[in-house]
Amino acid sequence: MEATNDRAKYLIAPALIIGLFIVAAYSYFGLSSFFVKGPPGSQFAGAFTLDNYWRVLFTGTNQSVLISTLGASFVISVITVAISIPMAMAIVRSKRPWIGTLIMLAVAVTFLSGGVTRAYSWLILLGNKGLINLSLVGLGIIDRPIRFLYNWSGVGIAITHYLLPFAVFTLIGVVQNLNVSVEEAARSLGASRTTTFWRITMPIMLPGLMVTLVLVYSIALASFLFPLVLGGGKVRMIANQIYDRMFTEYDVPYAAATAVVFLVSAFASIWLINFIAKKIKKAVS
Amino acid sequence: MKHLQSSTLQLRNLTKRYSSFVALRDLDLDVPSGSLLTLLGPSGCGKTTVLRMIAGFLNVTSGEILVDGKDISRVEPNFRDIGMVFQNYALFPHMTVESNVAFGLKMRGVSKQEQATRVREALEMVQLTHLADRYPSQLSGGQQQRVALARAVVIKPKLLLLDEPLGALDRHLREGLQSELRELQQKLGITSILVTHDQEEALYLSDYIAVMNQGRIEQLDSPIALYDRPKSEFVARFLGVPNIFDAKIVTSNGREATLSLGGQLIFVSDAEGQSAGADCKVSIRPSHIEVVGADDPREGISGTVKNMHELGERVVYRTEVNGLLIEANAPRNNNRDRYAVGKSVKLILDPAQTIVLRA
Repeated sequence: MEATNDRAKYLIAPALIIGLFIVAAYSYFGLSSFFVKGPPGSQFAGAFTLDNYWRVLFTGTNQSVLISTLGASFVISVITVAISIPMAMAIVRSKRPWIGTLIMLAVAVTFLSGGVTRAYSWLILLGNKGLINLSLVGLGIIDRPIRFLYNWSGVGIAITHYLLPFAVFTLIGVVQNLNVSVEEAARSLGASRTTTFWRITMPIMLPGLMVTLVLVYSIALASFLFPLVLGGGKVRMIANQIYDRMFTEYDVPYAAATAVVFLVSAFASIWLINFIAKKIKKAVS
Repeated sequence: MKHLQSSTLQLRNLTKRYSSFVALRDLDLDVPSGSLLTLLGPSGCGKTTVLRMIAGFLNVTSGEILVDGKDISRVEPNFRDIGMVFQNYALFPHMTVESNVAFGLKMRGVSKQEQATRVREALEMVQLTHLADRYPSQLSGGQQQRVALARAVVIKPKLLLLDEPLGALDRHLREGLQSELRELQQKLGITSILVTHDQEEALYLSDYIAVMNQGRIEQLDSPIALYDRPKSEFVARFLGVPNIFDAKIVTSNGREATLSLGGQLIFVSDAEGQSAGADCKVSIRPSHIEVVGADDPREGISGTVKNMHELGERVVYRTEVNGLLIEANAPRNNNRDRYAVGKSVKLILDPAQTIVLRA
């Protein structure tokens, strides 16, 4: 026992060194948020100030971008998880194995294509003269094209698609861990399929669903590429703002303050989701 | 005896076919009202398939499942009015013991007041009233299975299905729960079907036992009849008879017969339907063979002791008789002679307990 502990110390050393580098870099970036923009070639200058935080919290579009990033990410994540539940169930439980394999492949394929490729594919699909609008108009379902691009709907669709594999693969494990007999017991006691799903299956899956939700939520928060390409400057998320401040305004301290505020609110919102999840779990049982 | 009682459950030509494999073929079975029938057999014999089809979790390929005379084979499981107890307990982990037991009543729209009364009664039956507020994860395996039992019987089902209910418990607990289960079943008079591969459990709990093999019922009998008079080699082997040998009928008067076993003659007092000259198989339990000295005046077959073990209250001999290895038990009594390895002995087979098996 002692010997293995001793050896473990040496084994974690490499991870520790890399970890320290990362923490150091983040800390330095965070530290810069308390100063002002320096001359070209430097990160920051001047005396300690909270000015950047004041700018982030109370000026310009900062507040609305922060709130819409958190809000949209949450809505997108809930939709993603909701879509993923039936998909994971079909993969695990379909009586014909090829159905599960097919869905699994379709989900996995999205993993294999790069982000930029996917963003441009959505641009082609969702445009006013894109495949989806042309088909819908052609079939007479709508009169004029739906505007998907340069608003939240297109960005939301693309992010949902991006998040789907993360959610589906996580939920496969959750569904596999379900004890089928428990659902059968409910059926034999007189519960219909629907009742069994809502009163037995869902509450049992709830902890797993919440983990999945938090996972995809934190990925969604960091969205950068899809709002950039499909939002056309009209849909902005925090990552885009930080990027602009870093690389177009060269204002590292302002970007750092934005990042810190974002990080804190992201953690706070994740904590809130977990807190609510625990309350729900208690209420259901 | 069977035809005097009415049957709660009747299976008619029940068949389950998967694309390339027949799990169950033309099964007919009547379960008399109020009795406990056990489906006993090795894994893959189709016993669980039968149970799951009765519960409604597996589609019926063809045939009928009649409960009180009505075919329920196409009815959704939630409308079948059948209580089921699973090997892995299958309690609802997010509900208390009380809510678990109340679930079936809630689904039936029973009033809150009546729910409370009936849940309390059910928990009293399994002696768990003091744990009503606990969650399943806070209970032992035995307690969980008792909750599952209470949950299944509280809805007063027409039929109780028990799928290896004691299989996940350790031996000590299993024996305790066995008698509790039997008592409860008899007290409530619920027609029950038990699935198990444990022959002791089957013998202890059942009114009737159906031994299954490859999707068919090999033998249906009362536990004692099954134990004493297995009809086929499969049943005899499954019930743990070690002595099963090829033999030949030498003489027969339609009832009593003389058989040649390894070249020596033995007598069988019940060999109905066997005619002289036919090949057959015989089985006899070790406890029905007496081992005596070679000089004993009684008639028997002679052999040589190959090995001898003293096991607690009995002595086990393996004796070679013309190439056959016959196992015999003797009570371990200090006044009796022991026969050492290599010694010539005489085996006296009880003619009433020597059984001619169906070919």
